[in-house]
Amino acid sequence: MANAVIMPKAGITVESCIIGTWEKKIGDEVKIGDILFTYETDKASFECESTAEGTLLEIFFEEGDEVPCLVNVCAVGNQGEDCSALRPDSSDEQAADVEEVKEPQQVKEAPVAVASTASDGGKSSVSPRAKKLAERAGVDASLATPTGPNGRIIERDIRNVMDNAPVAAAEVAQTASAAQNIVEEYKDVKFSGIRRAISKSMHTSLSTMAQLTHNTSFDASAILAYRKQLKKMEGDYAGITLGDIVLYAVSRTLLNHPDLNANMLDDNSIRLFNHVNLGVAVDTPRGLMVPTIFHADEMSLLEISKEVKKLAAECREGNISPDKLTGGSFTVSNLGNLGVESFTPVINPPQTGILGVCTTVDRVRKGADGVLEIYPAMALSLTYDHRAVDGSPAARFQKELCKNLENFTVLLAK
Amino acid sequence: MPKSLFVDPAETRAAGKIVFDEIPVNQYNKTIKQERSRYSDEDLVRIYRDITILREFESMLNQIKTQGLYNGIETTYPGPAHLSIGQEAACVGQAYLLDQNDFTFGSHRSHSEILAKALSCINKLSEQELMTIMEGFLGGSALRATEKLGPVDDVKELAIRFILYGTLSEIFARDTGFHKGMGGSMHAFFLPFGIYPNNAIVGGSAAIATGAALFKKVNDKQGIVVCNSGDGSMARGPVWEAMNFAAMDQFHTLWESHNGGMPILYNVFNNSYGMGDQTRGETMGYDMLARIGSGISPTQFHAERIDGFNPLAVIDAMERKLKILRAGEGPVLLDTLTYRFSGHSTSDQNAYRTKEEIDAWREVDPIITYRKGLVDAGVASDSKMEEILAETAERMTTICKAASDPAISPYVDFKADPAVVERLMFSNEKVEKLDDREPEVNMPLNEVPAYKKLKEKERCPVVNGKPVSKMKLFNLRDALSEVIYDRFYEDPTLIAYGEDCRDWGGAFAVYRGMMDAFPHCRLFNSPIAEAAIVGTAVGYAVSGGRALVELMYADFIGCAGDEIFNQMSKWQAMSAGILKMPVVLRVSVGSKYGAQHSQDWTALCAHIPGLKVCFPATPWEAKGLMESALKGTDPVVFFESQRIYDVGEQFHEGGVPAERYEIEFGDVNKVRDGKDITILTIGAALYRAVDAAKQLSEKYGMEADIINIHSLVPLDYTKIAESVRKTGRVVLVSDACARGSFLNDVAKNITELCFDDLDAPPVVVGARNWITPPFEFDEFFFPQAGWILDAIHEKIVPLPGHTVENGCTEAEAYRRAKQGV
Repeated sequence: MANAVIMPKAGITVESCIIGTWEKKIGDEVKIGDILFTYETDKASFECESTAEGTLLEIFFEEGDEVPCLVNVCAVGNQGEDCSALRPDSSDEQAADVEEVKEPQQVKEAPVAVASTASDGGKSSVSPRAKKLAERAGVDASLATPTGPNGRIIERDIRNVMDNAPVAAAEVAQTASAAQNIVEEYKDVKFSGIRRAISKSMHTSLSTMAQLTHNTSFDASAILAYRKQLKKMEGDYAGITLGDIVLYAVSRTLLNHPDLNANMLDDNSIRLFNHVNLGVAVDTPRGLMVPTIFHADEMSLLEISKEVKKLAAECREGNISPDKLTGGSFTVSNLGNLGVESFTPVINPPQTGILGVCTTVDRVRKGADGVLEIYPAMALSLTYDHRAVDGSPAARFQKELCKNLENFTVLLAK
Repeated sequence: MPKSLFVDPAETRAAGKIVFDEIPVNQYNKTIKQERSRYSDEDLVRIYRDITILREFESMLNQIKTQGLYNGIETTYPGPAHLSIGQEAACVGQAYLLDQNDFTFGSHRSHSEILAKALSCINKLSEQELMTIMEGFLGGSALRATEKLGPVDDVKELAIRFILYGTLSEIFARDTGFHKGMGGSMHAFFLPFGIYPNNAIVGGSAAIATGAALFKKVNDKQGIVVCNSGDGSMARGPVWEAMNFAAMDQFHTLWESHNGGMPILYNVFNNSYGMGDQTRGETMGYDMLARIGSGISPTQFHAERIDGFNPLAVIDAMERKLKILRAGEGPVLLDTLTYRFSGHSTSDQNAYRTKEEIDAWREVDPIITYRKGLVDAGVASDSKMEEILAETAERMTTICKAASDPAISPYVDFKADPAVVERLMFSNEKVEKLDDREPEVNMPLNEVPAYKKLKEKERCPVVNGKPVSKMKLFNLRDALSEVIYDRFYEDPTLIAYGEDCRDWGGAFAVYRGMMDAFPHCRLFNSPIAEAAIVGTAVGYAVSGGRALVELMYADFIGCAGDEIFNQMSKWQAMSAGILKMPVVLRVSVGSKYGAQHSQDWTALCAHIPGLKVCFPATPWEAKGLMESALKGTDPVVFFESQRIYDVGEQFHEGGVPAERYEIEFGDVNKVRDGKDITILTIGAALYRAVDAAKQLSEKYGMEADIINIHSLVPLDYTKIAESVRKTGRVVLVSDACARGSFLNDVAKNITELCFDDLDAPPVVVGARNWITPPFEFDEFFFPQAGWILDAIHEKIVPLPGHTVENGCTEAEAYRRAKQGV
């Protein structure tokens, strides 16, 4: 009967090993104690001795493959014997119950091990003190590089993130300077804390949601005219922008579409907000930040305008309270001033929608008397989470929003 | 080891033999008729009345426990009932001649002793004296409760009701009990009549009663002390220790003006059984208990066996023994024969004795035979006896009804007052002196040579930049010594004793030179008998004095386990605050004498509710804490470390102050400031923590807060939490074995109090869970500075470049715990 040789466990914390070289090939005669192959952990290289005697019947993994510990690596038995049952991936069909239970565990463990050998991204514990500090400072603790015992994130790791000067980055810089004689073809730069936060958030967004985008446009004549009128005014009125006007319209339209003014709690439930807490994407020298205008639905246009300016300034200066960076129920991102005509904004989790505001272009349409006329059209790109909202309701929101913007003075009267 | 006593080889080695005197056995043989010249008829009848009251009280409890019913009153209680039915005559006989200046101590079976002593005092005291006592007891609240039983014209009858009701409510755990129900059946007492606590530990009263006798002897107080116990207790070591303590030769050879035997009577109510084991014939070898006295002293303890079934035989013996005791020729041992008709407790099935045996004793039951004797001798008519019985039953019914009625006799309301027991745990008083007389001393304090030497020492380890030589430095030992001198000259009741305290000056020289200053009665060598040392201190303190006793090595705490853990710790609360316990017990943690002489047992003491526990590690702490301990009224276990008796004060600015000061129990001592990590220490480990902090600073740029916990119980966590909140990291170090160390309790509390501020779990660094190996391997057993760094590196924050030498990985921690090492 054929016997399997397993990948040994080279240490209590070792989860998987990489096969170095095969010392025997299929068909070779093998005795117990013969070296079958070499394998490596992140620290050392080892030789695997055969635990069975006979002919090497089959090799399940090639050189360079990463194999979870205790998984069958090859089969040794009598020439011509069937050893397919020992093949790690064959257990589903053929192996006994015990193996069936084992198999998923092994498969599960493998990626964890890979992740931890990569010394980043593994799930680290966070000390209570570090956790408290992270919460207070609005920092994602999981972005910190753990330096505590057993890979624990401790206070100083959070402070590193806050200071935007992670130890790792400093190390990279040092390595680079030590190797200055070599011509630099490129430079590896570690992300700053904010960059890492954005990176993680955006990736989570796209990898966990069912996002799709609708593009639409509306006649911006009314809001352009209104804006012109405001510009002539004294004081803060003159500072009201087209973006502010859109925010106002969104704040008044959204409450009729509760599924878009919401947060996904998990795959099965959703939190519907009674007020509109509007996230506004702000471009800062350190990266994208999204402060929140709480209860925007209760604010006047002027109040919204002033609040946006205040929040944006705080973001740029970096003194914004972490409390104002969370809690949004919907987000508006405005790229219109940069000439973008259409885009697919990415939802800020756990929200269910984001509205992209695009630039205004002149369009032609057939007028009431059949004559072609030119009108200023502003495009709106709505991305929504199809898990929470279907296409038609999303389109209805967009339609109502456009109508409100085209009849903005009427909306103001409400 | 006094030099005045010459151990003469010629005399010591001379041939001879030991001759014993005859021990009387039941020699009393008078009839009631003969005794009518000695007693009035009224006295003889009152003896009968008292017997009936005791019998009725115990029978009532028996019915309550077995049927939940007494004379139509439905009532019960869950507590114990170790009844003395059958033993009443012996109790009444013993109490007959005793008054309130004579102290009695008892056992778990002492209801009858208490009531008999009370009835005797009520008979002897005037009506006015009785009213004063009753009004003065607990502010008159017990009397107010008794008055609710209905109006009584006769003050003596009122007093009888008072004592029965107070005792029964105590047994019923009512707020109206003599100590608010906190003692109960086995711990009842009434101090104004000289009735001291009985005790639930067999033989537990022996050393305590001996301490009370010591108090009377040292402080020239009136009266004698009776220690009551059962024959079962004669097997217990602490009882022998106590009797030997009481018989010490020094009371006749060295105590000068206080020479004289201890005024104590060890009375054994010998009912032939220790619970169910039969003493004579089964578990003991003495044949007759009275023989024991001959094994302890040449006086043979004036022991005799007397017939406790005849009250007049007991009175006769008591009269003769009191004379001996008052003449300073004690101690005395009485083997008072009696018999218990009731079971050991109400769950006793009498599996160990026959019905025939019980019946045979019933036939000579004093309640029948003594009554018949009185009637036959014409002292009283049979109808008079019936009248007494009826009166007794009626009175007891009234008492039982009232004690069962929650309206008259409420329980302590824990819901309304959850802190009711909490308030009783410590008396927290500060009393400079417990008596106003001049302290007895041999010379003025400023003339005592050793004290003068102390005063000349340098109080800082560095003077003008130069380290002070070891001989000139005021060290931790001196700090203790200084306070003890000061307090001895203030409190006349303060006495100190223990093994080798006097001539030797204490094994670690804290009492050095004190023999010049204090007479033997205030500072003396005790026998090597730890149970007696602590037990007598307890008795001395509850009687009204202040005792400072020493066990030499902390490891000997085990030898005085009951005395420390059950007696010293609990009497303040069990007495509802009536008793005070100003006992300071010094114990020294060794370092060089191996596994039975090197243990830090703070955790054992801190675990027991009712003890204050401290462990000073610097001279400044030692002086302030000893001052506080010796002024307080609470029991203190005062730990010292032999590693650091020689250290000077390195932390307190200006060294150890020459003037007096107190350190409050509960305080902690912050000896170093830092922001990066908190190190908490207990005992001599402080100095290794200081070393570790130095390395942390020099090698790793980390600054440590060091806080020494010199008071374990009580402990104010405010400053500890403040420090941990600041640093977020804490390592706790002491020389106690890590498993079960008190520091684990501190670590747990820190975890709860500061959880969100912790950057790592609190880490306890203690000694290994082994025997202490020889001193040569000290560094492998006790925490070292390096261990502290290892613990920080492995569990709190990695120290760059640190190499772990004595670490403990998680896997290793699992393994050790699994192996129990």
